Amino acid sequence: MSADNAYAVELKGVSFKRGTRSIFNNVDIHIPRGKVTGIMGPSGSGKTTLLRLMGAQLRPSSGEVWVNGQNLPKLSRSDLFDARKQMGVLFQSGALFTDLDVFENVAFPLRVHTKLPEDMIRDIVLLKLQAVGLRGAVELMPDELSGGMKRRVALARAIALDPQILMYDEPFVGQDPIAMGVLVRLIRLLNDALGITSVVVSHDLAETASIADYLYVVGDGQVLGQGTPQELMQSDNPRIRQFMTGDPDGPVPFHYPAPDYREDLLGKR
Amino acid sequence: MRRKSLMDRVRLMGRSAIDIVAVLGRSGIFLVHALLGRGGIGGGFQLLVRQLYSVGVMSLAIIVVSGVFIGMVLALQGFSILAQYGSEQAVGQMVALTLLRELGPVVTALLFAGRAGSALTAEIGNMKSTEQLSSLEMIGVDPLKYIAAPRLWAGFISLPVLALIFSVVGIWGGSWVAVDWLGVYEGSFWANMQNSVSFPNDVINGVIKSVVFAFVVTWIAVFQGYDCEPTSEGISRATTKTVVYASLAVLGLDFIMTALMFGDF
Amino acid sequence: MQNRTLETGVGLFLLAGILALLLLALRVSGLSASTTNDSYKLYANFDNIAGLTVRAKVTMAGVTIGKVTAIDLDHDTFTGRVTMEVNKKVNNLPSDSTASILTAGLLGEKYVGISVGGDEQLLKDGGTIHDTQSSLVLEDLIGKFLLNTVNKDAK
Repeated sequence: MSADNAYAVELKGVSFKRGTRSIFNNVDIHIPRGKVTGIMGPSGSGKTTLLRLMGAQLRPSSGEVWVNGQNLPKLSRSDLFDARKQMGVLFQSGALFTDLDVFENVAFPLRVHTKLPEDMIRDIVLLKLQAVGLRGAVELMPDELSGGMKRRVALARAIALDPQILMYDEPFVGQDPIAMGVLVRLIRLLNDALGITSVVVSHDLAETASIADYLYVVGDGQVLGQGTPQELMQSDNPRIRQFMTGDPDGPVPFHYPAPDYREDLLGKR
Repeated sequence: MRRKSLMDRVRLMGRSAIDIVAVLGRSGIFLVHALLGRGGIGGGFQLLVRQLYSVGVMSLAIIVVSGVFIGMVLALQGFSILAQYGSEQAVGQMVALTLLRELGPVVTALLFAGRAGSALTAEIGNMKSTEQLSSLEMIGVDPLKYIAAPRLWAGFISLPVLALIFSVVGIWGGSWVAVDWLGVYEGSFWANMQNSVSFPNDVINGVIKSVVFAFVVTWIAVFQGYDCEPTSEGISRATTKTVVYASLAVLGLDFIMTALMFGDF
Repeated sequence: MQNRTLETGVGLFLLAGILALLLLALRVSGLSASTTNDSYKLYANFDNIAGLTVRAKVTMAGVTIGKVTAIDLDHDTFTGRVTMEVNKKVNNLPSDSTASILTAGLLGEKYVGISVGGDEQLLKDGGTIHDTQSSLVLEDLIGKFLLNTVNKDAK
């Protein structure tokens, strides 16, 4: 176990390069145990990459990723697959298995990792589906579900094995207000009821701020700021301010770098 | 546009050569992991059956129909040429040898690449782009074992079976044209065939060919799906690559194997 | 259940494959397992078997009654020794029957033709046909023909 048990996930000095392009440079992130932590940042700031680093689907170029006292990049392929049983991920698209129905999707982790008898699997699946309010949809196929329902089924699947850490990749994107409200409530509810650690990666400010206990703002391959939502709202860092208030122009400029406007239009060809 | 200097071109060529070697290496590691990695998960047999169905049984229709037509065409062409030498009863032997040695394995492999190979690539690419593969990984299931391995094995098994069916159906189509339509004497049609076809040399060598093709075509198809860029554009590019690479590999390997098996140098 | 149809489908598919292999073995390449039971062996020595191959047919009056199973060189007489398997039903071949190597058509396959003799004694399993007629070698024929014309010209 890591010395600091207050943190479920720790990124220490993590850098990540894709080809020659640097995505993250020496990032430190500590996810407190049992809390909802939001990781926010503008699109393209590498938030999803960060999530994949935590799940060890990507290997950092340097630095350490500690999850529950294990340094993931150092693990062997098979140990890694075991370590991942403690993690649940809700992917952006839901990522339900399209050839299995709702019941089998939720039952899948149980069938793979446990040797439970069939009736017990059935009970657990119905329990989890009840938690997300979709017990009535057991027999539907994924393509018969709406986007919001897909995500809830995926959530039920993610908690099937009672993981200690749940990660959400952009859970609010493309959802209507009702589905969004349902998801917000579910994330908070699951966190408190099951005592798990939640990591929400999102750029939807209001929703994330409303459920997160602690927030990280990333951008330019670095952590720009961290703190409780209230603290960040009052931050005097111009970049955080711009993100929190949604100004079109600021440190992140409205215009893509270009030659001088007047000269480009009127100057010699 | 600046004209590329000679050095630039050499550098570009070198880089693409390294890229090709890297892809080869990646696909090799992929294959080893998928087939030899740590033990499969429970229900592996069920997965294999499902894939055998979608890869093998679903390709049966196109194989049977093409087989009949190719056999019929072979008989027609063969008859018109052989009749000039008064040896039209040899048409059975010609049809059988052509099918068993060449067309059976090769055409089946090409059709298989187009029908099942492209479908495999698209299916796996789609799973990748909808994050189903990532999701499997995070559930703690190795997608190489769960997705790639059963598809690879299904391909290895299906293609030789399809090639055998193709040959039989083709010979039947040929006999139909030659015997029932063109009036070649049935007895000499079959006797000639039986006299010239040798089981170990022709039938077994044909099977060996189709086993090799099965290996290459399925490997290319599954790897391309697994390695594709997870966008709809990337998937369609990977599908095209599967068909092109698999067809070229089949034809190239066919030449080499024919030279080894049937060429007495 | 749905699994059931899946499995049946795959089972049928694999069965079709095995059946195809069997058909190719028995019907197309003429591999037969039951030849030894209902046939008997005969031998014949030919001066020249040129062109005759294993599995060529053995006929009598144009009817196929067996096939050639082996061809080798007789160590002592330097003749081609042909082993034939003849259908048991044809068990009344006189011992002075003649075996000759014939050609189907001008360029067709070679086969063995047997014509009946008049002896009372019959050929038994493992018996040898002594009266043989060798293969017609086209090159020799052409050679003879040319020689004749040359001789004629010389005269």
